[in-house]
Amino acid sequence: MRRLAAALPALVLLASGPSAAETGIDPITWLQRAAASARQATYSGTIMHVQGERSSTSRITHLVVAGIEQEKIESLDGPRREVVRRGNEMQCFFPDAKTVRIDRRVTARFFPSLFSGPVEAIAEGYHLKLGAVERVAGLDCQWIHLDPKDALRYAQRLCAELGSGLLLRATTLNARNQVLEQYGFIDVRLGGDVSKRDLRSTFQAQSKDWRRDEQPSVEQAAGATGWAVAQLPPGFRVVGEMQRAMPNRPAPVTQLVLSDGFASMSVFIEPVTAPPPVNEAASQSGERRGGPRLTEAISQEGTLSVYARPAGEHLITVLGEVPPAAAQQVGRSVGRPAAR
Amino acid sequence: MTQELSSLMDGELEADEARRAIRGCCGSEALKDTWQTYHLIGDAMRGESPCRGAATRRIMEALEREPTVLAPRLRLGASAGRIAFAAAASVATVAVVGWIGMQDRAPADGPALARSDAPAAQPVAVANVVPLRNMNDYVVYHRQMPNAEFYRPASNQAVGGR
Repeated sequence: MRRLAAALPALVLLASGPSAAETGIDPITWLQRAAASARQATYSGTIMHVQGERSSTSRITHLVVAGIEQEKIESLDGPRREVVRRGNEMQCFFPDAKTVRIDRRVTARFFPSLFSGPVEAIAEGYHLKLGAVERVAGLDCQWIHLDPKDALRYAQRLCAELGSGLLLRATTLNARNQVLEQYGFIDVRLGGDVSKRDLRSTFQAQSKDWRRDEQPSVEQAAGATGWAVAQLPPGFRVVGEMQRAMPNRPAPVTQLVLSDGFASMSVFIEPVTAPPPVNEAASQSGERRGGPRLTEAISQEGTLSVYARPAGEHLITVLGEVPPAAAQQVGRSVGRPAAR
Repeated sequence: MTQELSSLMDGELEADEARRAIRGCCGSEALKDTWQTYHLIGDAMRGESPCRGAATRRIMEALEREPTVLAPRLRLGASAGRIAFAAAASVATVAVVGWIGMQDRAPADGPALARSDAPAAQPVAVANVVPLRNMNDYVVYHRQMPNAEFYRPASNQAVGGR
């Protein structure tokens, strides 16, 4: 098997003619191409997303206008929704709720643009190797394997179109090689004519009277909130730190954003007023009233893990597309070093 | 190859991949063994363990050593049929959270590192499953994509106080 894998690049070199030069490229360069292409290329197509037993399709149109990335994503199943993105500014249209949500992209993942932070960081957390060249959505595509070096992230299988590097498939696997999540183009058009009109929301005109949901977030300099993660899993960095006003919460919530170049986690630190939500939740269940204190909680749905822990006057919640162990490690080591 | 066998068992292979895997499987004693082992694991996990041989015992021991997986299969979507938004990968809802560490002990004494070399989240006991209010907000803020519930006028979650 291993010998076969070693022979593959040579085979591909013979088979794929003009694009043969591409196959001499190492995995990290493939990832850089994939990341750059997702941001800079012109493309449109239909995307399928499968997570657990749910699947859905959406249509994407992506173009760079005057150096600014522009994108429209429309849901094709269920209630109509549209996301229009210019650079990091996102407008999300929800016609059913007659609401436009305005947000700045931080952690949102839009296939095929799945990378966050510097691509080079990925090599710290994953073993990288090239897989086979296959035909995907009608195009020749290079598989890139990201196998985790520890139990704190999932394996990824990415397939990048030979010519442009654009991702055509992305599959997340758990430690048992079970598919947790999959993105893929069903059909894709690279380059070609995309007019700026195609990037405008269908609801642009009628949304004038809609409610605007704009929850301000104030970006903080690194370390400014005083909160830190003492035991970051290898390869993870704090890539964002902010204060967010959130509905249902009287005081702003601190958010730290962590990334290993591919997977991301959000750490939310929320001041709690008595009774803290954790205890409230427990008492709602009608059990363990006055019993032992809850110390931590964990949950998983698909690729998303959630960890929660009350810490004095605060509730710490960690969410991310990582195994529960990673969310737990981060959540347990969140603290305020300056306050000690 | 073992990975292919695993995928084959889970019905995840294309027809020609499956053919290749089956051919490969029958070509070697070791792989035949692996194939049987996978089936035994499957049976054991489903609570059907018909044979009591040494192999079964070995597998049960191996399972004991492995970290507990909170959600071993993909049947996590209790909300199957609910439609997520593809590009933004929204999770429809995280309504229930299994509480762990109900005992009076500090998290550091928790069970997480007890049984495995690799750190793994392990609940001592899922003593209670409670809906955790407001957790959905965090999902929305992490994914940056609201779900239908987020804007439902009946809920007081709508557009924070404006």
